[in-house]
Amino acid sequence: MLAVIPLLALLSLTHSPVASPSQETFEEIASQADKAREGDRLTDAIALYSEGVRLHPSWVDGWWWLSSLLYEQDRFSEAQAPLKRFIAIAPKPAPAYAFLALCEYETHDYDAALRHFQEWGRRGSPGNDALIDVAGFHWALLLTRNGRFVQALYLLAAKAHKLGPSPELIEALGLASLRMPYLPEDYPPERRELVWLAGKAAGFLSTNSVSQADEYARAMQLHYDKEPYVHFFRGTLFSFQKDWASAADEYQRELQLWPKCGPALVELAFARIETFQPAEALSPAERAVVLLPEDARARYVLGRALLDLERFRESVEQLEAAKRLAPNSARIRFSLATAYERSGRIADARRERVVFQTLKKKEDAAAAHPHEETASPQQMEHP
Amino acid sequence: MTRVCLLLSLASALSVATAQAQTAPPKSPSSQSNRGAAFNKNSSFEQLSQAADQAREENRDEDAVRLYGQALRLRPNWKQGLWYSGILLYRKDQYPAVRDLMRRFVAEEAEAGPGWALLGMCEYQTREYARALDHLQRTRALGLGDQNKMAESVFYYSAVLLTRSEKYDDAIALLFAMVKSGSHTDFLTEPIGLAVLREPLLPSEIPSYRHDLVRLAGQAALAEDAKQPEEAERLFTTMLANYPNEPGVHFLYGVFLLDTRPADGIRELKRELEISPSNLTAKLRLAEHYVKDEQLDQALGLAKEAVQLEPEYAPAYLVLGEALVEKGELEKGISALETARKLRPETVRTHWDLLRAYASAGRAEDAKREKEEIERLHQPEVRP
Repeated sequence: MLAVIPLLALLSLTHSPVASPSQETFEEIASQADKAREGDRLTDAIALYSEGVRLHPSWVDGWWWLSSLLYEQDRFSEAQAPLKRFIAIAPKPAPAYAFLALCEYETHDYDAALRHFQEWGRRGSPGNDALIDVAGFHWALLLTRNGRFVQALYLLAAKAHKLGPSPELIEALGLASLRMPYLPEDYPPERRELVWLAGKAAGFLSTNSVSQADEYARAMQLHYDKEPYVHFFRGTLFSFQKDWASAADEYQRELQLWPKCGPALVELAFARIETFQPAEALSPAERAVVLLPEDARARYVLGRALLDLERFRESVEQLEAAKRLAPNSARIRFSLATAYERSGRIADARRERVVFQTLKKKEDAAAAHPHEETASPQQMEHP
Repeated sequence: MTRVCLLLSLASALSVATAQAQTAPPKSPSSQSNRGAAFNKNSSFEQLSQAADQAREENRDEDAVRLYGQALRLRPNWKQGLWYSGILLYRKDQYPAVRDLMRRFVAEEAEAGPGWALLGMCEYQTREYARALDHLQRTRALGLGDQNKMAESVFYYSAVLLTRSEKYDDAIALLFAMVKSGSHTDFLTEPIGLAVLREPLLPSEIPSYRHDLVRLAGQAALAEDAKQPEEAERLFTTMLANYPNEPGVHFLYGVFLLDTRPADGIRELKRELEISPSNLTAKLRLAEHYVKDEQLDQALGLAKEAVQLEPEYAPAYLVLGEALVEKGELEKGISALETARKLRPETVRTHWDLLRAYASAGRAEDAKREKEEIERLHQPEVRP
C-alpha cells in the first residue's frame, strides 16, 4: 500500500497570518505560493512556502502546505520539521500526527512513528479514508514489528475486509499471523513463500472464505510444518470455525515442536475451556501464565479454568490481574463478576456487572460496524 | 543483466546532462584544488559544480560525489548534480541515498523516464516493492528513448515485481515480449517459471526446495513458446513425475495439452482443481474449453465460481459472459462482458465478444462503438 494520499485536500485551513512589517512581501509570497500549488508547479510552491514560513513562522497554512507538498513528493525526511511545526501551532493538528508518523516510518524512525500513530489513535484517528487506510496499515506494520500481533491483525483484518486482500495486506497479514516481528521490507527473503501462504489464508479468513483459507493453510503446512507458529496458525483457523478438537491438535503439535510457545498454551487452554474440559485446561493455562505473566489473555484463561473448577479465590486473583492488564475487556469483567459472586463478594460482583454492561454495549456497537475505520488497536484489548 | 551495463546505459541516457554540459571548466583549477582542498564554505556554486563535473569525467568518483554534495547544498534542486550524484552512488550500491536523490530529481523532471527508472530500481533494492513497481511502470509509460539496455532492466524488474504482486498475466506478457525482442532466455527462465506457476516470489525468494520445479516450469513454457512441442512435453512430464502434488503443475500441463489432446488436458486441469480447488485460472481454462465444446452448463458453473472467487478479475467475467451469450442469455451475457470491459478495457477479446453480442441484440450503435474501440486498440490479430 503506497503512502499516496490526496492530503492536499485533507484539511481546510483558514488561519490568517499575523501582521508584521514584512506584510506586503509576505502576502505576495503567500499568494504566489498558493498559485504555484494550484497550478501544479510544486517545486516553486515548496520554495515559496518555505520563504513564507521563514517570514511568518506562525503561518499555519504555510507549514501545512509545505509539509504536504514535501510528503507528496516522497521527501519524507524534509517533511518532518514542517509537520512538527504545524503540530505545535495548529489548533486541530490531529491528522498531522498520522502524516508525521508516516514520514518517520519512511525514514526508519520506527519508535517515533509508533508513538505518533498512538497519539493519532488517542485523538480518534481522524482524517479522510485514504489517510486512515494508509496510516492504519503502517501502524499495523509497526505493531507487528513490536510483537503486538493481535492488535496488528485486528487492524489488518478490518482493512482486508474493507479493501480486499491486496498483495501488501497479504504480506502484512502473513507476518502478523506467523508472529514474525518484522516489517515487510526486512524479513528474510527465503521466508517469503511461507509468509505469503499464511497471509493468503488470513486474507481469505477475513472475508469469511473459510475453505479457501484452509486450502492455503494446508499448502503452508505441507512444506513448512516444522516452522514456528505454523501449527499455531492452523489451530487459530480451526478455532475460528469452532472446530475445537482439530484446533487443540494443532496447538499440541506446535507445543511438541516448541514447548515454550506461550500463545499456543493459551489457545490450547481456551480450546479445552470451550469443550468443557477445565481440568485439562489448567495445566497449559498455568504454564502460559508463567511464560507470559503480563498477558491478559493468559491470566483470563487461567482464571476461567479455575472458575470452572470452583477454585474461586484463585480465580479472582487471576481475573483481577487480567482486568489490570485489559481494563476494557467485557469478557474479563463478566467472569470476574461471576467469580466475585461465587466467592460471596456480592458488592464487588454488582460493581463489575455494571462495568460489564457498559463495556458490552460498546463492544456490541463496534461489532455492528466491525470494519469502520474509527477503530484503533487501542480498542482491541485482550482477550 | 549486469549492473555495469545498466550504469553505462544510464549514464548515456542522460538528458539533463546535456543541459549543463556547456558549463565552462574552472578557470584555474590546480590539480589539488580539483581534489577539493580549495573548496570551502565560501566556494561558489559554479566553482563546485565545475569541479564536480571534472572529477566525474576524470573518474575520481569519491571527489565527484563530495563536490556534487557540496554544490547541492548550495542549490538543492540542481538537476545535473542530483542525477550524477545518483549515478555515482548507485555504482557504490548506496541505494537509499540514490533513492532520496532521485525523488528530488523526478520532482524537478517529472517527465524524465530514466529518473523514474533509477528511482524504481533503487526502491527494488531497498525492498519498497509496491513503490518500485509503480515507478517502473511510470518509466514504461514515459519511455526511455533508444536506451535498449536500460529498457531491458526496467522490463525485467517490472516483470518480476508484477509476479510478486500477483499480476501474473501482465508479468507473462512482459516476459515473453522480452523473449521476442531477443533478451537472453537464461535469466528469464526463473521469472517465467514463477509467473506461469503463479507464485508471487522474486527469483531471490524462491525456497531451495522449489528451485528445480520453477526452472522446469520456465524451461517448459519457453519451449512451448518457441514451438518446440516435443521438448515442452518432455519437460512437462518430468515436472509432473517429480512434483505430482504441487500446485500449478497439472494446470500447466493441462493447458499445454488442451489443443492437441483435449481429453488429457481436461483430465490434468481437473486434477489441478483437486489439488488447488481455488485455482482461478484452471477453472477459467476449463470453462473456456467447455464453452468451445458447447458444454455450457459446466462452463457456467466454473465461470460463476471464478467470479465469486475473484470479483475484480476481468477474465472471469469475460468467460462468464461468453458462456451466457452462447447459452442464449444475451442480456446477462452482455452485462458480464461489460463488467469485464470496465475492469480491463484494453482486452481486445472482450470488445470482440461485445461487438457480436450487441449485434445479436440489435444494438447497432453499441456494436459500432466496439468496432471502433477494436480499431483503436490496433490489435485485431489478437482475436482468438
